[in-house]
Amino acid sequence: MVEGKDLSKRVLVVDDAAFMRMMIKDILSKNGFEVVGEAENGAVAVKLYRELNPDIVTMDITMPEMDGIAAVKAIKEIDSRAKVIMCSAMGQQLMVMEAIQAGARDFIVKPFQQERVVQALEKAIAS
Amino acid sequence: MKDPDHLTNLHLDAFQEIGNIGAGNAATALAQMLQCKITMQVPKVELIPLGGLAGAIGQEEELVSCITTLVDGGAPASVLFLLGAQSTYLLTDLLLGRKPGSTTELDNMGQSALLEIGNILTGSFLNALGEATGIMFKPSVPYLAFDMLASVISSALLEGGYYDEQVLVMRTQMIGSEILIQGHFLLIPYSGTLPVILKAIGLNL
Repeated sequence: MVEGKDLSKRVLVVDDAAFMRMMIKDILSKNGFEVVGEAENGAVAVKLYRELNPDIVTMDITMPEMDGIAAVKAIKEIDSRAKVIMCSAMGQQLMVMEAIQAGARDFIVKPFQQERVVQALEKAIAS
Repeated sequence: MKDPDHLTNLHLDAFQEIGNIGAGNAATALAQMLQCKITMQVPKVELIPLGGLAGAIGQEEELVSCITTLVDGGAPASVLFLLGAQSTYLLTDLLLGRKPGSTTELDNMGQSALLEIGNILTGSFLNALGEATGIMFKPSVPYLAFDMLASVISSALLEGGYYDEQVLVMRTQMIGSEILIQGHFLLIPYSGTLPVILKAIGLNL
């Protein structure tokens, strides 16, 4: 784990399942990240991104109102340097490619290992 | 378009193999989430009259939870993950880190945990199916019902698309080694979907 005190680690967690937000939040807070906001769909995520300007976003794909792919596109329009990591049970190659094309930095397939989540976020923040 | 009555043993074998890959992936996902060994029965692939689906799976009045995902994309279908009441409560305890036996009814966080596990298992199943067939499967946001078996199955079918009178059902049971969790996994293709999947694996109906 990179300790880097200068490294900002403010995270916005986006997932429609409260249970999954709780799990991600738990992993992140144990590993030196600060969860500054939680969103239950893509539309709320875009709104919170504007308000909170987080350093990184974890984004589910299948969500009501606005899905994760549409939300990544909208966030990239607000901030072209936004760092978004997709976090979805849908690991089909076509879906991963669609997310990367939309502007996501990485793709984590659920169920995930704690180390994989931390590693993906550290890497994206450092880049 | 021919109906599923024309399916041969070769077709059923092919579906069984696809089901095997999909369910294997889903069982691995469940084992990873629960940190225990999960065994899986070889999936059964059967043609079942639509009206007799609940009776073919278990007792119609049995209390179950059912997580339904409608799947859009190249091969539309419904995916149902069914758990008996006791398995539902135990799974909720394990997912939320509660002492086994503490859940006796589903609260909001319990429902969310079950929905998410349904989402992950269906996702893992579809990921394998997508790899095997090259078809893109797009799942909807899943929903949870906790009611009698016959009732949850009829509502799930009503939510979905059009089915043939005889539906091809792929189902498997997952059983935890140290804990007793039994679940059924059902893939119910919509009318017209079977030929698409068969064509993708080089067979014709």
